[in-house]
Amino acid sequence: MYFEVNGKQAFATTGGKTLDSSLPTVIFLHGSGLDHTFWGLQSRFFAFRKYSVLVPDLPGHTHSEGPPLDSIEGMADWLNDVTIALGVKDLSVVAHSQGCLVALEFASRYPEKIRTVSLIASGLATPVNDALIEAAEKNPEAAIAMMVSWGFGPAGHLHQGPIPGNSMVAGGRKVMRGNVPNELATDLRACNAYTNGKAAAAAISCPVQVILAGKDRMAPRRAGMQLVEHLNDPELHIIEDSGHMVPQEAPNQCRALLRDFIFSNNPA
Amino acid sequence: MSDFLEFDTLSLHAGQTVDKEFGARAAPIYQTTSYVFPDTDTASSIFNLERGGHAYSRITNPTVGVLEQRIAALEGGSAAVCTASGMAATFVAITAILGQGDHIVASSQMYGGNISLMKNTLPRFGITATFVDPKDIDGFKNAIQDNTRLIYGELIGNPGLDILDLEAIASIGDKHHIPFMVDATFNTPYLCRCFDHGVNITIHSVTKWMGGHGTAIGGVVVDGGNFDWGRTDKYPTITEDYAPFQGINLWEEFGPSAFATRIRAEAMRDIGPSMAPMNAFLLLQGIETLSLRMEKHRTNTEKMLEYLSNHDRVSWVSHPSLPSHSSHELAKKYLPKGAGSIVSFGVKGGREAGKAFIENVELASHLANVGDAKTLIIHPATTTHSRIDADALVAAGITEDMIRLSVGLEDVKDLQADFETGFRAAKKVAGD
Repeated sequence: MYFEVNGKQAFATTGGKTLDSSLPTVIFLHGSGLDHTFWGLQSRFFAFRKYSVLVPDLPGHTHSEGPPLDSIEGMADWLNDVTIALGVKDLSVVAHSQGCLVALEFASRYPEKIRTVSLIASGLATPVNDALIEAAEKNPEAAIAMMVSWGFGPAGHLHQGPIPGNSMVAGGRKVMRGNVPNELATDLRACNAYTNGKAAAAAISCPVQVILAGKDRMAPRRAGMQLVEHLNDPELHIIEDSGHMVPQEAPNQCRALLRDFIFSNNPA
Repeated sequence: MSDFLEFDTLSLHAGQTVDKEFGARAAPIYQTTSYVFPDTDTASSIFNLERGGHAYSRITNPTVGVLEQRIAALEGGSAAVCTASGMAATFVAITAILGQGDHIVASSQMYGGNISLMKNTLPRFGITATFVDPKDIDGFKNAIQDNTRLIYGELIGNPGLDILDLEAIASIGDKHHIPFMVDATFNTPYLCRCFDHGVNITIHSVTKWMGGHGTAIGGVVVDGGNFDWGRTDKYPTITEDYAPFQGINLWEEFGPSAFATRIRAEAMRDIGPSMAPMNAFLLLQGIETLSLRMEKHRTNTEKMLEYLSNHDRVSWVSHPSLPSHSSHELAKKYLPKGAGSIVSFGVKGGREAGKAFIENVELASHLANVGDAKTLIIHPATTTHSRIDADALVAAGITEDMIRLSVGLEDVKDLQADFETGFRAAKKVAGD
C-alpha cells in the first residue's frame, strides 16, 4: 500500500491483509539496497495469524519516494513518523542487517511503542570498507556483486532455496539493481557512520531476540556476540548453515524462531 | 567454495540440495503425487504462499524444482517454472499476462507451433498477433498497438535462422513498457544469456539441446526479474489483487519473481501442464553436459558447413556463422560462442531430390525434433511447418527444397559418408 509520510509517498506491503491498526503490528525492516520483498517468507505468515504487518521500503528504495535517508538516526525517526501516520501500536520490530541498526535506534528512542525486537544478522555497528562505498557510487554493478557474493552462503550460491524454482541470488541482485547508485551508496555511508549502537542497545528494555548465522561474512558471529553482550538479557539463536541473508536462506527456521518469540511476548 | 559459480559448475550442481537421509549424489526422482504435511499449520502456510514447500506435484515437485532452479541459475533469471513441453511453456507464459483483447507483436520466423498458436489458437481466446520480419526493426515499432502487451520472437529463428536484434527490440519494449519474451531453445544459455541483452522472459523447449538426448519432452519459462510490472496498469494479473490466494498482490509480495509466481499460482494449478519427475531427472542428466555437447555441436556444425558449402549437389547453405547469411553480424554480436547447430540447405533437384536425400541417409534420422545428440533431418514444408499457409511459409523463409539439419555429435567423417549416400540418390532423381 502507498501512504504519505512527511509529505512524501511511501510504500509498504501488509502481508496480503489490510492493515488493521487495532491489532499488534509486526514491522519488518530491510537491509542496505534491498526492499520489502526480502521478507516475503516471514511477513505473510504473521498477517494471517491475527497480526497487522508492515513491511516498508525505506525512502528512495523500490516503491517509496526518495531521496534516501543519510543516517540511521534519520531512518529511525522516519519509521516513527510511519507509525504515527498509520496509527499502528504494540509493535514487534523484526530487522535484518542495516535494519537492525535502525531498530536499535528506533527502540531506544521510542520505547513506549515497542513490545519486542528481533535482530537478525547484525552487530552493534556495520563498518563498511571504502572500496564497497566507492563501488556503490561509481560502479554499482560491482558493488552489487560484492554484496550478493558476501551476503549469501553456500546454499544461495548453489541456487538452492526454499521456494521451488526461485533463485535467491538472482532475486537479490534484481532488487538491488533497482536501488543503485544513490540508495545503496547512501545506505552504506549511513551504516558506516553509525556509532551509537552500544548506547542504543543498552537502552532497550523490551524483550529482544538475536538471530545470528554461522556462515555470515557480512556480520560475523563475533560482531553479533558483541551486540548480544550489550543488550539486556536477549534470547540468542545461531543458525549454523545460513549465510547473512537468514530470512531467505533459512526461512523456516527463522520464521519459527520469530513466531515463538513474538507469539509469547506480544500475543495477538 | 568460491562465489558466483561458473557455468559448468552450475550445470552440475545448481538447485540441488544433497539428500540428507541417504546422501544420494544424483538428484533423486520424487515420483510422488503429494507430500505428507507435518502439521496443519505448515499445510495451510504452503497453500497460502507463506512459505516454500510442496503440496501436490501438479504445482511443484522436488525433482522438477532442481531442474527449475538449475535453469534459472544458468539463465541468470530470478525464477523458472517447468512445464510438460515447450509449447505448454509458451502458452502459460503468454496467458499469464495476456487476455481477451490483448495483442502480440511476434517474429514471423518461428517454429510452426509458435506461429500456429498465435495465428489460430490464441485468437479463439481473444488474443491476436501481428507477425513481423525479424530483421525489420521498424516493423516491430510500427506494429505496436495500444493493446499490445507482448513482443515475442526466437533468437535463432526456426528454420530460416535469422537472428533477432535483441537489444534493438528490447529498447522498443522498454519505450512502450511491453515485456520482451524470447524462445531461446536454439541457443540455450550456453550460447547466449538473453537477459544480459534486455530480454525479460525466456522460453525453452528443454526437449532439445538442454536435455539433448531425445528422451524427454519438457519446457520451461524463465522470469528475468527485470521488468517493472508496476510502471503501468497494463498487467493487472501481476499488479492487482489475485482473489484465489486471498487477494495477494504478486508484484508487491514477490517483486522480481512475480511473473513466475503467477504462472505457478494460476496455470499450474488451474490448467496443470506439469513436467513429470522422471522427465526432469532425464533432462537434468542432459544439462550436466550442456557445455560439452554444445561445444561439440559447434565444431561438428563448422565441419558440416564446410562440407555442404563445397558440395556440388547442394544449391545453397544457410547458417548465421556464414558471412553470406543476412544475420551474420548479429550472430557475431549475440552468439560469439557459436550460432547453433541447425543448418538449412537446399538439395539440387528441388522437392523430389530432397525427398530422395532424406529417405536414403541412414545415420541422420528423419524425424520431427532438433537438438538431439544424434543428427536429425527433416523437410519443414511438409512437416513441422505444414500447418501454416503459403504466405506464412514465405514469411518464415521456408522453401520447397529446404532441408533442416540438426547437427549431432557423431564423427563428422561418418556423417559425411552418410550424406554422400543421400546425395547420390538425390542426383538420380534429379536426372542431371
